Amino acid sequence: MTDTAPAQAADTPTEATGPAPDHLDGVDLESWGLGTNNATGLSNNKLGMWLFLGSDCLLFGALISTYLLMRHRGTGIGPEDVFDIPFTSVSSFVLLMSSMSMVFAVSSIARGDDQKLRLWLLVTSLLGGTFIAGQVYEFTSFYREGMGYTTNLFSSAFYSLTGFHGVHVSVGIIMLMSLFVLSLTGRLKQDRAETVEIVGLYWHFVDIVWVLIFTIVYLIP
Amino acid sequence: MAIVERPSTSETLELEAGPRHATPEDALGVFKRPQGDTGWRSWLFTVDHKRIGIMYGAAALFFFLVGGIEALIIRTQLAAPDQALISADLYNQLFTMHGVTMIFLVVMPIGAAFANFLIPLQIGARDVAFPRLNAFSFWCFLFGGVFFNSSWFIGGGAADGGWFAYAPNTSVIFSPSHGMDFYAIGLQITGIASLVGAINLIATVLNMRAPGMTLMKMPVFTWMSLVTQFLLLFAMPVISVALFLLTFDRLFDANFFDVSAGADPLLWEHLFWIFGHPEVYIMILPAFGIVSETIPVFSRKPIFGYEFIVFSGAAIGFMGWGVWAHHMFASGIGPISVAAFAVSTMFIAVPTGVKILNWMATMWGGKLSFTTPMLFSIGLVTMFTIGGLSGVSHAVAPADTQQTDTYYIVAHFHYVLFGGALFGFVGGFYYWWPKAFGHMLREGLGKAHFWVMLLGFNLTFGPMHVLGLQGMPRRTHSYFDGYGFNVWNLVSTIGAFLIALSFLIFFWNIWVSKRDAKKPEWVSPGPDPWDARSIEWMTASPAPSHNFDHVPVVTHRDEFWYRKYGETDDHRIVRIAAAEDVAQTGDRTDVHLPAPSYWPILLCASFPLIGWGLIFNLGIAFAGGALALLALYGLAMEPADDPDGGHGHHDDHVDHSPTDGSDAAASPTDGDADKEATLVD
Amino acid sequence: MHRFRSVVGSARVRSFGLLALAGLVLSGCAMSLDGDTPQTTLEPEGPAASKIDGLSDLTFIIAAVVFVLVEVGVLFVAWKFRKRKDDTGDELPEQLHGNTKLEIGWTALPAVILAFLAVFTVSTILDLAEDPGEEATRIRVVGQQWWWSYDYDLDGDGVYADGDVVAPGIENPEEYETDIEVANEMVIPAGKPVYLEIESRDVIHSFWIPALNGKKDAVPGRTHYLSLEADEPGTYVGQCTEYCGLSHAYMRMVVHALPEDEYEAWVEEQLAPANEPETAEEQAGLEVFEGRCASCHLVEGVNDDTYDGATVVPGAAPNLTHFASRGTYAGSIFNLWQDTNGNDVIEWAEIGGELNRNQLEAWLRNPPAEKPMAADENRGMPNLGLSEADIDSLVAYLTSLD
Repeated sequence: MTDTAPAQAADTPTEATGPAPDHLDGVDLESWGLGTNNATGLSNNKLGMWLFLGSDCLLFGALISTYLLMRHRGTGIGPEDVFDIPFTSVSSFVLLMSSMSMVFAVSSIARGDDQKLRLWLLVTSLLGGTFIAGQVYEFTSFYREGMGYTTNLFSSAFYSLTGFHGVHVSVGIIMLMSLFVLSLTGRLKQDRAETVEIVGLYWHFVDIVWVLIFTIVYLIP
Repeated sequence: MAIVERPSTSETLELEAGPRHATPEDALGVFKRPQGDTGWRSWLFTVDHKRIGIMYGAAALFFFLVGGIEALIIRTQLAAPDQALISADLYNQLFTMHGVTMIFLVVMPIGAAFANFLIPLQIGARDVAFPRLNAFSFWCFLFGGVFFNSSWFIGGGAADGGWFAYAPNTSVIFSPSHGMDFYAIGLQITGIASLVGAINLIATVLNMRAPGMTLMKMPVFTWMSLVTQFLLLFAMPVISVALFLLTFDRLFDANFFDVSAGADPLLWEHLFWIFGHPEVYIMILPAFGIVSETIPVFSRKPIFGYEFIVFSGAAIGFMGWGVWAHHMFASGIGPISVAAFAVSTMFIAVPTGVKILNWMATMWGGKLSFTTPMLFSIGLVTMFTIGGLSGVSHAVAPADTQQTDTYYIVAHFHYVLFGGALFGFVGGFYYWWPKAFGHMLREGLGKAHFWVMLLGFNLTFGPMHVLGLQGMPRRTHSYFDGYGFNVWNLVSTIGAFLIALSFLIFFWNIWVSKRDAKKPEWVSPGPDPWDARSIEWMTASPAPSHNFDHVPVVTHRDEFWYRKYGETDDHRIVRIAAAEDVAQTGDRTDVHLPAPSYWPILLCASFPLIGWGLIFNLGIAFAGGALALLALYGLAMEPADDPDGGHGHHDDHVDHSPTDGSDAAASPTDGDADKEATLVD
Repeated sequence: MHRFRSVVGSARVRSFGLLALAGLVLSGCAMSLDGDTPQTTLEPEGPAASKIDGLSDLTFIIAAVVFVLVEVGVLFVAWKFRKRKDDTGDELPEQLHGNTKLEIGWTALPAVILAFLAVFTVSTILDLAEDPGEEATRIRVVGQQWWWSYDYDLDGDGVYADGDVVAPGIENPEEYETDIEVANEMVIPAGKPVYLEIESRDVIHSFWIPALNGKKDAVPGRTHYLSLEADEPGTYVGQCTEYCGLSHAYMRMVVHALPEDEYEAWVEEQLAPANEPETAEEQAGLEVFEGRCASCHLVEGVNDDTYDGATVVPGAAPNLTHFASRGTYAGSIFNLWQDTNGNDVIEWAEIGGELNRNQLEAWLRNPPAEKPMAADENRGMPNLGLSEADIDSLVAYLTSLD
């Protein structure tokens, strides 16, 4: 285990250009290919996360499209029968707040403040957990009102879309808790700030998707 | 003589010295980390992109045999009218499995094989961005394919809904065997493989190119593969959603495609083809990349209009998203949609045509040597042209309403995917074989393979144009006498067996060439048997596990060629160095490499368990899930690279794996755990 | 199985020279290697199919020219620039990297050609989509595994006779009595527009009579529209072209286009209720029908008044009211009649000739053995275990239903 490690070398040219070897003046050839000279300026890990999130956009895009097509096609119980907008607004607000605490977590580790990092990781997880609890409550009450997964097109599409999002949030909470444990055991230090940042990217993405889902599914009649 | 300036080797990168392979590190205290590079274990646990590429190719060729046998049974059944060698039910399973196998388990993985093997070599990288995720992708694909094919034995019948699986014919009512469950879950698994592979390869190309290799200096194959990976990145989630919906319908009684509940079956068609059309380019673009490498080499000229080739490839990548509904001209989507998609489909022919003309222009004025790879490449140009032109006739939507779902379509897409993709791939096999295995395939057998395959291919699929225009629908297990279908079907069947013969020649060639290489009089082809242009030929054959002794510094497109040839004052091109003098020997032993890992294969082994469990017994699914969690945890807690391996403790700077291979790219299944890989380094 | 006599497009002489040259092997000679091609797309017999064919020809000619230029070009380049035997390989050809003007040219040229083609394509699409108007005969075409039914809205009131609508609880049942419902074979007036409403009862099928128009999918839950018109009287064949399961290959259609007066006569005949049994054999057949067949098949005048919606599955099986007025059955894969030569025929004039008895008996004896079906899953006709005596009387009854 190493305690000191290079941060991203900010001054490293991102792309070697020009026709002759002269252009490599100042390039740290020793570290070429070692992740500090990436052409995109992003580490592989962060770039990978961005790519994954790009792909995930299409996943939710397809699910949201499906929901929009299904919503009014079937018969029986519909959105207006079950939705409790004030309740979901509160849980949406909780999830949005977790994005803020995630920002604090990222800035804490950037400063090297482990205590604060753990605090904000915990807060973010708890807010996310609250959202999931709200979703579980919501699903249960919908079910009690007679809206099972197989009831009609609307119910299948609704549960699938929000369920996929719920799974995303849950995975995020597991990541946050893992970071928390790693920090507790001293394995998550300032030099690994990027890891928290990458988890943060994921977390913000999931929040933004929820803003979309909340607007499209709950608010637009 | 003013020779073009060459970089000397002194600028190349020296990596930290250390033992070639890491000492084993306890991971989780359960397993010793695998080590060594011989024996079957070294293949199962490898993270070396070249071995993974080779395994992709080998697995794809195995599935090609499976799909080919399915095709031969189909053609035998159709050799004459009113035959009943096999039942309609079995026929429907066979054509479905043939299609899915050839698309998802043959053409796509061969593309992945070339991309895995070649991209790091062509961009001068040690390995891909996430070596363990690369192994994960391969095993995920393989286990997905095995799972899918296991339906023959335990599914009560294989999938019988066609590769396109139109709802509601795939619902439990209309397809009561478990075949379509295997289809939905199997493709989901291979889809995860493709998605993770795409993230990996895009990050590799964007981040890990050798010094000096700008995007516009990349070899065309790498470019086309990059476009392919972006298509995969965005197409896979769409088919994933479609397959989830189908799975939920079939296993959990959801209503997505239940017409009696009000569902619209066109939803499936749209989702499927939004994925399905980019999929076509996913299959063909790597082959375009391959011939863009081979035609210049065997014409002894650079590719004509590199920028046009590259941008037309990228244009295909973009336009490929706006043409999907041309698969649905007869599906009742309304005249305005039909007109819009007809026009967009016509214009996607433009960038494709550009490529054909650029390849011709590359050959123009060259000195062509008709080696086996060159023959296959010219085969692609000529055969794909036919497929492209019949494609234009589909873009003419009214004409398409006569042609769609007839054998004319079958002819069309086989000219594209067999005449296009497979000709390119086979040419690529012959071309890069020495780089992968250190020996050439026999040229004589190769040429025999080409001519028999060309003849067989045209005999098989050429007559299908006629059959289609005469009104023979596809996906029919039999046809009547008296419709004018008899002769051409018989010709087609004969052609199919010729194709089979050509691949027997190929497999014989593989075997006999390997035997040749063991003879004492055998002479190594050296690093550069073809007088090639790109830098994968600048290292030894077979490529050593560390790829390059020194990371090459790139100043030109076709860097390797520029190191071999220069221009005199009077503008004559002359050889300035022998390939052996320029190429690296590949015998360095002190390059630190990413360590092998047990976890990718273990993780992937859990997927079929989960799949079988969902279909038959949830207990098995939970066992699979537990294995997946264990493997994910192992993968996450195992250092992506061995921090103590090789270097001991010194400057952390070089303690990263050469590829920064901390495997942090998240996938739908392992996002959380992989994240931690970076934490424990 | 049977053989359709060619009744389509005898005379049209076409120039396929270029296409043959193009290796697409479309020439008349190539096509007729096998004799008749009754299902061909290349011999249109109606206005819609002719429009499509004209556009196809234009496309094929352009494609053929491009094909010849490219293929000959590649082969020429390969031949001309082959490495000569005396070439030592020391001298390299000129290392030409490209020519932007040339490349822009050959990017623009195909774009222009395709734009030209696009104009015709779009105008034809819009042209073909037009509703033929009020005077068109409206027919609802319903696909189901694995046969087609045709409901005629003869009185133009927008509703169709159909198993669904004669069920109890329907208002104004008398409105439906002016409409007819037939199975497997569609009869249309020649030279007049027909407007089809295409639907499906189960999975996606596709309705296709190549000589008359392109295909249109029958999607459950949706109604699609297609115009048909036959220039001349004749019999036109087609086949389901969207994969629809087990017997997709055996889901065929037949269209008889009749002169106006014959069509009117046919309509009158179809509007009449089913014939009463005249012989003891036929009477016995009726009893077999009522006992074994009537829960799925409808014979108007026999079981429509006892129809209670509970025992009869609407649309589960073809309406047999005028069974013997048709040429084919079982998804139009078997011919009901044979001519004196023993060859199966389906031409209109020969319906009602000599019965193709063996095939009909074999079908009644064990339908799943004759045509792949999933009868045990209620998809297709099951083996009813009829006795030979039952079969004989049933054949007598059914063939009396003309």
